[in-house]
Amino acid sequence: MGTGGRNGMTAATVDTSRLRSVVDAFPADDLTDMRRDAVETFATQGFPTANQEDWKYTSLGDIAALSNEWLESANIQLTDVATDEQKPEVALTESVDVEWVVIRDGVVATGLPEIDGVEIDPISEDDLKDSPADDAMTAFNTALLRDGIRIRTRRSAQPERAIGILYSDNPSNAVVQTRVVVDVAESSTLQLIEVCTSSGPGRQFTNSILDARLKQGSKLDHVRLQNRQDEHSGVNRFRSLLAQNAVLHHNSFDFGGALSRNDVVAEIAGTGANVRLNGLYLSSGRQHIDNHTSIIHGVGPSQSEEEYRGILGGRSQCVFNGKVFVAEGADGTDSSQSNHNLLLSERAEIDTKPELEIYADDVKCAHGATVGQLDHSALFYLRSRGFSEDQARKILTRAFAEGTLSSLSIDACREFVATALDRKLSQLVDERNE
Amino acid sequence: MLEINNLKACIAGNEILNGLNLAVAAGEVHAIMGPNGSGKSTLAQVIAGHADYDVSAGTIEFNGKNILDLEPEERAREGIFLGFQYPVEIPGVNNAYLLKAALNARRQHDGLDEIDAFEFLKLAREKMAILGMDQSLLNRGVNEGFSGGEKKRNEILQMAMLEPTLAILDETDSGLDIDALKAVAKGVNDLRHPDRAIVLVTHYQRLLDYIEPDHVHVLFDGRIVRTGNKTLAHELEKRGYEWVREAATV
Repeated sequence: MGTGGRNGMTAATVDTSRLRSVVDAFPADDLTDMRRDAVETFATQGFPTANQEDWKYTSLGDIAALSNEWLESANIQLTDVATDEQKPEVALTESVDVEWVVIRDGVVATGLPEIDGVEIDPISEDDLKDSPADDAMTAFNTALLRDGIRIRTRRSAQPERAIGILYSDNPSNAVVQTRVVVDVAESSTLQLIEVCTSSGPGRQFTNSILDARLKQGSKLDHVRLQNRQDEHSGVNRFRSLLAQNAVLHHNSFDFGGALSRNDVVAEIAGTGANVRLNGLYLSSGRQHIDNHTSIIHGVGPSQSEEEYRGILGGRSQCVFNGKVFVAEGADGTDSSQSNHNLLLSERAEIDTKPELEIYADDVKCAHGATVGQLDHSALFYLRSRGFSEDQARKILTRAFAEGTLSSLSIDACREFVATALDRKLSQLVDERNE
Repeated sequence: MLEINNLKACIAGNEILNGLNLAVAAGEVHAIMGPNGSGKSTLAQVIAGHADYDVSAGTIEFNGKNILDLEPEERAREGIFLGFQYPVEIPGVNNAYLLKAALNARRQHDGLDEIDAFEFLKLAREKMAILGMDQSLLNRGVNEGFSGGEKKRNEILQMAMLEPTLAILDETDSGLDIDALKAVAKGVNDLRHPDRAIVLVTHYQRLLDYIEPDHVHVLFDGRIVRTGNKTLAHELEKRGYEWVREAATV
């Protein structure tokens, strides 16, 4: 029995006939057939509901309602002009030294950068046909997809600079789909940063997907920072497929948003592959952040290491569900997972669950989860050294998050992430005093 | 400098300090000795302002000012330093950061500018050399993975950097080998000053061979039952705390 979480009890049904007519009205392009197929796939499922185990704690009821309003509005604006509120957000691209692509309300808004060893192109039907397509959120994304990019490294390329994608969304387009496909070629490396921002009053929902394919001996460093405004929500899918000896290092930071749901899937399909997932979520007020991760050891020997940390204040609710699947015959799998949570408020709630499914014999799988509060003896220790109670709380809370920050594999975004983290931490500590 | 009158304090309903009196003047070193459970650590924690202890009666005046209503950080900024019996490990907080930020909090309170980063490092390295501390400890998490001796030296390092007016050292000698004990004693002796007072809380007389106290007090059942000079410490060492127990019950 699901309660539907705290984000509304309404049944999550999107009006599919309205969706169909909106999709039919899209200007024809090479994605047209795919969109129409996706509508039919979506129509058989609708948004996931609390009856599905994976969505027990996170309800998309409000988002379905918003989607219906958006679908019903007489003319759906397909504008790609930045609103005044979006301009300052875009300005941050000037302060972080990576090659930026700005995607505004789901539409690529800048020229695509030219980098040695990397091709960046608009997304095409070909890029999408190998991606998993049968789940409802992917179908919803494809059905309404307007634009997207495909990033492809050349064989053995080691580009010096990281690529950054800045998503800047605004309620003038209340429902947005974003799509990125990444192909990391054999023996090449890629550093990719995604920053999700939003601006402007009103409700907004972004449904984003990134699919990455890591070829033999390749390496992808991926950092995703979600810092949306309070009223705005997002459902995000990051799926990766790793060939032999491929290495994935994924860092996720969730600080903003009303409702945020991340599904991270890493599938190891080649021996010697290595997956590292590091997540940090900070929630205040009535924020809801749900991280579902799934690491599939299809073959062994292979390695995965996962650590998610959460700091929860106010009446916020977070979810961590860490699945590790070891297939039959995937001997030599070495996997560890941990989830640590710091509760700053008695009214905050964390639901944490490891989920191990092991069908091989020779495996090492460790997992652990903790939920705690700030250590009182450490607080007194710091205060006895002259720090105010607020300062001491801030220092200890920051210390709890520090490990996740030091695991960052892309130096160019370190300062930027640290600044966003400090801003959110101050908000959390101040919230306590209100 | 420190005037404690008829102090009564309890934790979770258990009375630990039971009408304690103590006067410490500037320039003096006092040793407070006593058996386990006599209230030595409680006294140190109550002076520093630990919130777990309820003070039900009495006063603590520091430089003529009642400090019982002050928060722990306010007491620290007034110049009171507690060297912990069990220094807390704080992974994720850099030791150098803590030292520098604590020093600057004190300096700000005293109306001084923040210490320059270069000056700070120079000073910290100097003090660490005196204490025989490995310089790499500066860049580790606060007390994280430190040995017992390293933790105690780190407390003395903090004290040496903060230059408190009143230093209370709670069992700083426990768990130290002889070299560490000498280094810690050197750190404390370097801080002796006519404007400063030091209170050593200790179970054993050993530390007092290296830091010579002006006054020795024996704490028993939450009260000071005997006060003397350093020969009292020797007598205790020889006759044991049982002797005080007998004397106290007469």
